[in-house]
Amino acid sequence: MNSSRCAACKHLRRRCPSDCIFAPYFPSNNPRRFAYVHKIFGASNVGKILQDLPVSYRREAANTLCYEAYCRIKDPVYGCAGIVDQLNEQLKVAEYQLATIRAAITTTLQPSYLLDQSLPM
Amino acid sequence: MSSSNFASSSMSGSGGSSSGGGGGGGGPCGACKFLRRKCVTGCIFAPHFDSEQGAAHFAAVHKVFGASNVSKLLLHIPVEKRQDAVITICYEAQARLRDPVYGCVAHIFALQQQVVNLQAEVSYLQAHLATLELPTPPPPPLLAPPPPPLSIADLPAFSAVPATYDLSSLFDPTAWNIIPHQRHEIETLTSQFPTTAAPRGDGGGDLQELAREFLARRAAPAEPCTNQQASPLPPHST
Repeated sequence: MNSSRCAACKHLRRRCPSDCIFAPYFPSNNPRRFAYVHKIFGASNVGKILQDLPVSYRREAANTLCYEAYCRIKDPVYGCAGIVDQLNEQLKVAEYQLATIRAAITTTLQPSYLLDQSLPM
Repeated sequence: MSSSNFASSSMSGSGGSSSGGGGGGGGPCGACKFLRRKCVTGCIFAPHFDSEQGAAHFAAVHKVFGASNVSKLLLHIPVEKRQDAVITICYEAQARLRDPVYGCVAHIFALQQQVVNLQAEVSYLQAHLATLELPTPPPPPLLAPPPPPLSIADLPAFSAVPATYDLSSLFDPTAWNIIPHQRHEIETLTSQFPTTAAPRGDGGGDLQELAREFLARRAAPAEPCTNQQASPLPPHST
């Protein structure tokens, strides 16, 4: 039994070859990562996605796949789309706040406003 | 409901009803057509993938998630929520095919960056308004205090799912081309998924480097990476 199997090969109960596509990105000390992507995407699909990418991009791809899988497990209906929607809402709120404050600043800096403020009582 | 309207126009083509496919007189649903199998009565995909456009949508879903995984996912979702689930799954599948490295997470990063920038601007202007200073040109945005680094902890936490989500903007291609205007140190979304260095492979998980590369790639007009990409890539230590 190969004691240095990656998390993927441990999960799949198979030997971990020296050129395992998963090993660099799914270390054995974090089995949850692979469990997530396996549940949502399947090992075969993840392997194909990674295989089709240059080596320098695979780590990022593995990380984003993990995040997507995690989101989908936490929210099976909306997944990452739920996050997108929440961020869009935050954006709208921030844009509204910005517009309000800009209008207030514009009003405050109007010459007539400044003049009114400086007149003695 | 906006999601149902969107779904009816792009996927089921039947007003979101369950009249399509299912082994009836309407022929196979888009999923079974793609899989080249008999569409049985009660097919879980039939209400959501019509025979016409549904097949194309299902092709993307199958390529990224796999029919079996999607079927299992839908089985665990209440019937009234399955249409929304199919829409979001299609969105993620298409995003992943368009950008195999980041998928829809690129969209999330871009939105988060915009939110952070706007909130920083709001804070700055609030302070400005509070002091009622004489009009002076505000400093350029670059001189403003940098927003805090992004991390997965900054993303909205998973709480009770709202009653409705507006899914109509998910498939807006222009929303996916948002490029962060500023480069910031971003703790990667993998802060919850530590990638300690494997015994073999590259020398370590430089998460900051991952975020910087993401921003650099988003800012450059490079094509999404494919297996046959020819565009020069920045050197990356592996």
